[in-house]
Amino acid sequence: MSAEPVGAAADLRVDQVTLTVIDNYLATTCREMGLAMMRTAYSPMFNESLDFSCVLFDKHGRMIAQAEFCPSQIGTIKFTVEWMIDELGADVYQPGDVIVMNDPYRGSGHIPEHTLLKAVFHEGEIVAFVANCAHLAEPGAKAPGGLAGDATDIFQEGLRLPPLWLQRQGVNQEDIWKIIFANHRTPKVTYGDLMAMIGSLTVAERRLTSLIDTYGLDVFHTATEDLIRIAERRMAEEISKIPDGEYSFSDVIEDDGVVEGDYTIRCDVVVDGDAVTCDFTGSSAQAAGPMNATYAVTASAVYNAFLHITDPTIPRNQGCYRPINIVAPPGTIVNCEFPAALVGGNTEVSPRITDIIFGALADALPDRIPASLGGTSCCFLFGGAHPDTGELYSHFHFEGIGWGGRPDKDGNSQIIVINGNCRNTPVEVFESRYPIRVESYRLLEDSGGAGRNRGGLGMERILTIDADEITVSALFNRMTVDPFGLHGGQPGRNSGIYMRPAGAREWQTFSEAFGTMSPSKFSNVVLRRGDQVKLVAPGGGGLGDPLEREPERVLADVAEGLVTPAAALDSYGLEVARANGSWSVVGAPGRTER
Amino acid sequence: MASKRIGIDTGGTFTDLVCFDADTGSVSSLKVASTPKAPTEAFIASITESGAPPAEIDFLVHGTTVATNALIQRAGARVAFVCTAGHEDIPYIQRVNRQYLYDLSWDKPRPLLRSRRHCLGVRERMDARGEVLVPLEAEAIDELCDRIAEIEPEAIAVCLLFSYLNTAHEERLAAELRRRFDGVPLSVSHEVAPIWREYERSSTAIADAYVKPLMQRYVGSLETGLAEAGIGIDWAMMKSNGGLMDASAAADHPVHLVMSGPAGGAVASEHVADLMGLDNLVTLDVGGTSADVSLILGGRAGYTTSYEIEWGIPAAVPLIDIGTVGAGGGSIAWVNAGGFLQVGPRSAGADPGPVCYGAGGAELTLTDANLVLGRLDPGSFLGGRMQLDEAAARAAAEAMAGPLGMAPAELAHSIVEIANENMANAIRMVSIERGHDPRHFALLAFGGAGPLHAAAIARKLGIPRVVIPPYPGSFAALGLLLGDLRVDKLWTQGYRSDRVAASEVIARFDAIAAAATAELRAQGFDGEPELSYAVNMRYLGQNYETEVEVPPLGSATGAASAQEQLERAYAAFHAEHESMYDYVIRDAVIEMISFRVTAVGAIPHPALARVSSADPDPGRCREVFFGGYGRVETRLIRRPAMPIDEVIEGPAIITEDGSTTVVEPTMTVRRTDRDVLVVETG
Repeated sequence: MSAEPVGAAADLRVDQVTLTVIDNYLATTCREMGLAMMRTAYSPMFNESLDFSCVLFDKHGRMIAQAEFCPSQIGTIKFTVEWMIDELGADVYQPGDVIVMNDPYRGSGHIPEHTLLKAVFHEGEIVAFVANCAHLAEPGAKAPGGLAGDATDIFQEGLRLPPLWLQRQGVNQEDIWKIIFANHRTPKVTYGDLMAMIGSLTVAERRLTSLIDTYGLDVFHTATEDLIRIAERRMAEEISKIPDGEYSFSDVIEDDGVVEGDYTIRCDVVVDGDAVTCDFTGSSAQAAGPMNATYAVTASAVYNAFLHITDPTIPRNQGCYRPINIVAPPGTIVNCEFPAALVGGNTEVSPRITDIIFGALADALPDRIPASLGGTSCCFLFGGAHPDTGELYSHFHFEGIGWGGRPDKDGNSQIIVINGNCRNTPVEVFESRYPIRVESYRLLEDSGGAGRNRGGLGMERILTIDADEITVSALFNRMTVDPFGLHGGQPGRNSGIYMRPAGAREWQTFSEAFGTMSPSKFSNVVLRRGDQVKLVAPGGGGLGDPLEREPERVLADVAEGLVTPAAALDSYGLEVARANGSWSVVGAPGRTER
Repeated sequence: MASKRIGIDTGGTFTDLVCFDADTGSVSSLKVASTPKAPTEAFIASITESGAPPAEIDFLVHGTTVATNALIQRAGARVAFVCTAGHEDIPYIQRVNRQYLYDLSWDKPRPLLRSRRHCLGVRERMDARGEVLVPLEAEAIDELCDRIAEIEPEAIAVCLLFSYLNTAHEERLAAELRRRFDGVPLSVSHEVAPIWREYERSSTAIADAYVKPLMQRYVGSLETGLAEAGIGIDWAMMKSNGGLMDASAAADHPVHLVMSGPAGGAVASEHVADLMGLDNLVTLDVGGTSADVSLILGGRAGYTTSYEIEWGIPAAVPLIDIGTVGAGGGSIAWVNAGGFLQVGPRSAGADPGPVCYGAGGAELTLTDANLVLGRLDPGSFLGGRMQLDEAAARAAAEAMAGPLGMAPAELAHSIVEIANENMANAIRMVSIERGHDPRHFALLAFGGAGPLHAAAIARKLGIPRVVIPPYPGSFAALGLLLGDLRVDKLWTQGYRSDRVAASEVIARFDAIAAAATAELRAQGFDGEPELSYAVNMRYLGQNYETEVEVPPLGSATGAASAQEQLERAYAAFHAEHESMYDYVIRDAVIEMISFRVTAVGAIPHPALARVSSADPDPGRCREVFFGGYGRVETRLIRRPAMPIDEVIEGPAIITEDGSTTVVEPTMTVRRTDRDVLVVETG
């Protein structure tokens, strides 16, 4: 990797307008890649949830553009592509070659996430790389849907692909495809999704070629180098605005699906001038179950935190990561070693790390840092044979959560976790694909942590099994450890996953019903027709003392059904009553402690 | 003999009328002040002023921003939203993704509902095959109606799960709601947008309901006004997709009118692009209140079905892709808390209007600034029908300039510069932000104030050429007359290529083509309709379908068998997929999702006549202020008097009824024989 050092005073060599045009053109290209994938892919993971990212690299493998995709994938793909080019070499590609890789021990976030890479040629020379990274719903793991909550090593988590040629000069390499098809439960969907990814690379290749035809190769190279310089300089400027100091925070992952007990993640954030170091020394040893992050996942989560608390207009490329240093001791939960299981690191540990960085900086940046977000992807996996067709299906379902109360306003309700930017799957699409009915899907009142600024609300979804047999797995967090509040705010309500056998009245945890070690992380539990599952997504933490919340805002929340009258009294110290269609505070001006 | 065809475009500040006489081929245009508080007045006044005798008016098309403004300003109705029980939070949960990455200050958009408590579930349920799981019982409807009554809604939107597959429950519910809430407008999702995905369908139905009471009142008052004026013809409105729709039908489907106003400008721009052989244009339409910008690529305006009222609040109807910014002639200049001069987005509108209108306006506007700089000729505004009060504008500029420590001309110039920068930003949004370099485009400017600012904006953006069409002040109204009657008939039913009975599909196409033609006839069209056919298809397993224009389908289309006709449709899909994504899956089963027949009834369009050299007008001269030059002696030329194809050096001011074109020093201008002005910005 020829990452040339860049002085802060380096002059830009391309004029501002051209730079802006090219920067926006590249981001638009990423968006168009995403659109092509959405429109042509087979699995709802792709076409409804948009669990993928499209990214452009220069000829050295340095990231030059991204768009509004999943932050965790954007952070890891930087490592994935570096790894692939390092391992394969710089000169082995032919026009039309497409290379696939999903090995977490080579930079991938976890096995379900497959990265495709293609070199872009101009007059016979490689001038750029285009890549996308997407979560395949079926990676051939021990559990349908891939995220086995109780996996004990990487081999249970699916088919691991080192960098392999999926296409050579535009021709499918049948041997590789056959191996993949033989190992995935849903080969047709895998084929459709991988073809959609390849199509998206073609779109990017065409757009980049057209850009280079317009501006010339020199301007393209010079402009992308300038953009990386600008991003690095601006990120350094942003970091230098954070007061120097050492800030620490820790939180725990409640269990790993295999053994009981907490895993601590600790981070010392050291801000020194225009650079920052995040040191995870003191974090727990790697987990026995799948709650491990690789170095790439940890780094990606740290980048995600810093991008959230710095100027959102910094160009998003390799440069903005350079001032951020990460220390993650090998063999710990934040830098696990082969062959540890790790599929939950990318969905669960990643947002926790981001929250821990926020927590560490809460006092240093009191006007920016929110309370904890719900902080789990609420992964619910299932598969089986579809009663209508007999064909195998498998799906990775997740939920939005409440985000934490912010220094100046409430947290958003029901938004996807901070490491992703996926959409939910519409009920009409979900039920068209899978033999499960969605009985209800609603915001959960009182789930947002009380505070001067309330945490956003979580949700509750009730599902009914509509097939003789479905195999389900789960990977949840925050079921016992609260999403923390800040500055006197209360925690958000916990997550949960429960079941109720057909005809029964009471909800049970999966531990109670099936004896799983963990109520929140398990795999391959068989449910029958009429059984119901209740998924509960956590709320965000509150920020500031709830007693300082203006009564009219509490009343508005009660009127909207976001806070119950009982919680208005318990958490906010206000007795409220409804008369003539509107809510008001009754009795004395609140309770004595208010 | 009724031969006059009239287009009326109502903007926030002016109402523009274009009249085309089909017998003589003549085109005339005029502009009157809008009357936002009583919109009918300006509408009728413009017809009266045109002098067209009511009996001679054959056809009338209207474009309006009423629906758009209500949506953007959140000034619509109190809507009760009815959905399948258990799913009441659809409008509030939305799709759970974020507009921006890495922005903690971002807020999830609010739905167009006043309260989460206005979302009411009704016990019923269809499954994914369109079969009834839970019947819709009378008691459930009764109970629902009681709760609706408590809300006292001004409109009701209904979206039940899987109604795009089986409309029975929505139809039954709609019938009951119409009966029990007589006079309360109703929007039913399978009628508004028969698409799958409950959030998108709900949001579109809610948007439709949200503006329906307003649009029905509006169209009703125009009907009354027309009747009182003795004009009893059928009239049409321009839809957001550039097609025309019978006015009363349009009022019942107002979500299709969100881009009604600006669509006329886009249709007319396509016409000019075609006329001049220009493939790539940036269009800039500056009126009194706002500036609309769009791109013409390869000669065609961009279309989108992914319209969003704001990010995350979709209205899934087809429309022309147009961006809007609050900058227009009426934009008010003000000083913010930090002491910085700002222009807009607040507008003086038509009432009271700019200071120079002398109608009580006291706040300095962009129009006043242009007048102070000498760029507007006070005697020839609106064809001389409105005398501008130059002294009043100058006095207002002096009053504002003093505390800022500026000379009045300097202040006026700053105001124009800021407005130009705002409009240039709007162009950057649709071009640079999407990766199109404006330096490779021409700028087509229209609207009363577009030609006044176009040269300076083009200079800012490095755009080499500015094009000013004929009738720039009424160009969008002209576009209303360039649209055709258009009926789209959509039929949603899923088929798989491996199981379909081809003859059933072909017979159905015959039926929809007949229905589309009948609807055109009902709108008074008696010519031969142009029919086009499209099928939404995807590979079995894909989730998004691609609309593919297919060769004519139906039993009357020739010798091909039904199966052969479908094979041609599949081939068209493979070809489209390959051209868009570079691959095909030949042996995959193809799913057909929905079928569309579009019947277009071509109506006579005004032609842009060739013009010949008029007697050269020596013109007058006037001092005009240009940045970097100060006051420069500048020629004032009447556009009709400009010689053809003669290059005139700037600076120059070209005046005409309804607009003024500024040509800066070092630029040149030329008038073509189609009466198009071409400014080379150098």
